[in-house]
Amino acid sequence: VSKSYDEIKKRIADGDVVVMTADEFKQYVRANGPRKAAKEVDVVTTGTFGAMCSSGAYFNFGHSDPPIKMQRVWMDGIPAYAGLAAVDAYLGATELDETNNMMHGGAHVIEDLVRGKAVRLKATAYGTDCYPRKEIDTFVSLKTVNQAVLMNVRNCYQNYAVATNSSPRTLYTYMGKLLPEYGNATFSSAGELSPLLNDPYYRTIGIGTRIFLGGGQGFVIWEGTQFNPGVPRTPGGVPKRPAGSLAVIGDLKQMSPEFLRGLTFTRYGSSLGVGIGVPIPILDEEMAKACAVTNDQILAGVFDYSQPTRSRGVLREVTYAELRSGEISIKNKQVPTSSLSSLYKARQIASILKNRIAKGEFMIEKPVQSFSMDRVFKPLDVRSEKEAM
Amino acid sequence: LKTKVVLNFSPEAANNPITHNLIAKYHLLVNILRAEIDEIGGKMVLELSGKADDIRKGIDYLKSNGVGVRPIKEGVRRDDDVCTHCGMCVSICPTKALAFDPKTGKVTFTEERCVACGVCIDACPPRAMEILI
Repeated sequence: VSKSYDEIKKRIADGDVVVMTADEFKQYVRANGPRKAAKEVDVVTTGTFGAMCSSGAYFNFGHSDPPIKMQRVWMDGIPAYAGLAAVDAYLGATELDETNNMMHGGAHVIEDLVRGKAVRLKATAYGTDCYPRKEIDTFVSLKTVNQAVLMNVRNCYQNYAVATNSSPRTLYTYMGKLLPEYGNATFSSAGELSPLLNDPYYRTIGIGTRIFLGGGQGFVIWEGTQFNPGVPRTPGGVPKRPAGSLAVIGDLKQMSPEFLRGLTFTRYGSSLGVGIGVPIPILDEEMAKACAVTNDQILAGVFDYSQPTRSRGVLREVTYAELRSGEISIKNKQVPTSSLSSLYKARQIASILKNRIAKGEFMIEKPVQSFSMDRVFKPLDVRSEKEAM
Repeated sequence: LKTKVVLNFSPEAANNPITHNLIAKYHLLVNILRAEIDEIGGKMVLELSGKADDIRKGIDYLKSNGVGVRPIKEGVRRDDDVCTHCGMCVSICPTKALAFDPKTGKVTFTEERCVACGVCIDACPPRAMEILI
């Protein structure tokens, strides 16, 4: 059995596409086998909602009169990067104000904008002959700006670490609150619903893939930073460590606070909760098998976050079925588990995407270019100029 | 009977062994949920269990010793519009008042089980939990 992108796209356009959420598809394959599933099902929708720090949005504010070449920009007190043309700026999700108030970072300003709120824009400049103005203090919203574009350089990690803490004190990390003496363990993947875990070798997800992003439509624009496909994999090909990731883009004006949220990780900082859904075309039996993967076949490594080093040893490997059971065993201790990734929202996203595709409102796309499998994830060492050459 | 109370006391009242007396004189089981006490007085959240009559007498005893007593029906509240149901809170909640329901994928909050310890407050990434004490 094999289907082309064009055949599937025609079925979407004609309104007779067979589309299932990843949850539904896994059940279908269990009952009917991958061969029949590949024949009967055209598209499987995946979803994930979690904290994705490497996110942000760029804006074009329009020109004031007299005009200003903005050098320093603040949006509701949060600095945005303005080392671009006169009125373009990029606001990062983890950016904080000068008091390091983690309750309100760049991510929260992005959420406020998506909620339809007005945001105070302040900018200063040195003044030029063509841009004489030296400061401006005004309000902007998604209605007033020309472009408001979410552009995230690393989202949607293909698998992630499980975090725990062997030390005698509570740790506050980007993996949440970790209680002392292996008091808990946290994980951050939607597991069997997660987009890249259903397409482990990036056959259908690549540059140009149309996706659900923050409630609207977006695209994959590149491999995500730290893309690392060479990690150990299960016999089924599923990476057992953080591997692939996606760089994505989409119109902020289409998005919804349901799927784009400012988050606070105490004593760590702010982050953006991003909802992403990726449709996977079932081109053949191989894709059907890949999308049939279940939590008991997806493994992750457990790491002790009390070791402040980049090369922590793996305490053990666990399956997402074990993590989802609410308890895992570490060093003979039963340790309660917490997810940082919302299964509820992941399911919601897969289901919304399914409905949009079934109604012909969302078209799948063949990637214009696949990701390179040769990418490696290199460390940063303190080195001389010569060593860096 | 079980009840949760917030106690506010002055420095003078802090010198009385009030918890001891609640246990010894009024035969109450006392579970200290929160305690913040320093030289200018303090605040305590207690869960008292015992006979209804003993609890009433115990509270009267506290009041007569200059301790402000306020019963609490709810100590912690969740804003359901803010919660994303990620589940960060479930592994740190000591009483399983916050729990994950695999069927719905949602995090449930059973207020009767909550002892208002407050560990969930700063652990919640979207800040859906609020302590009312």
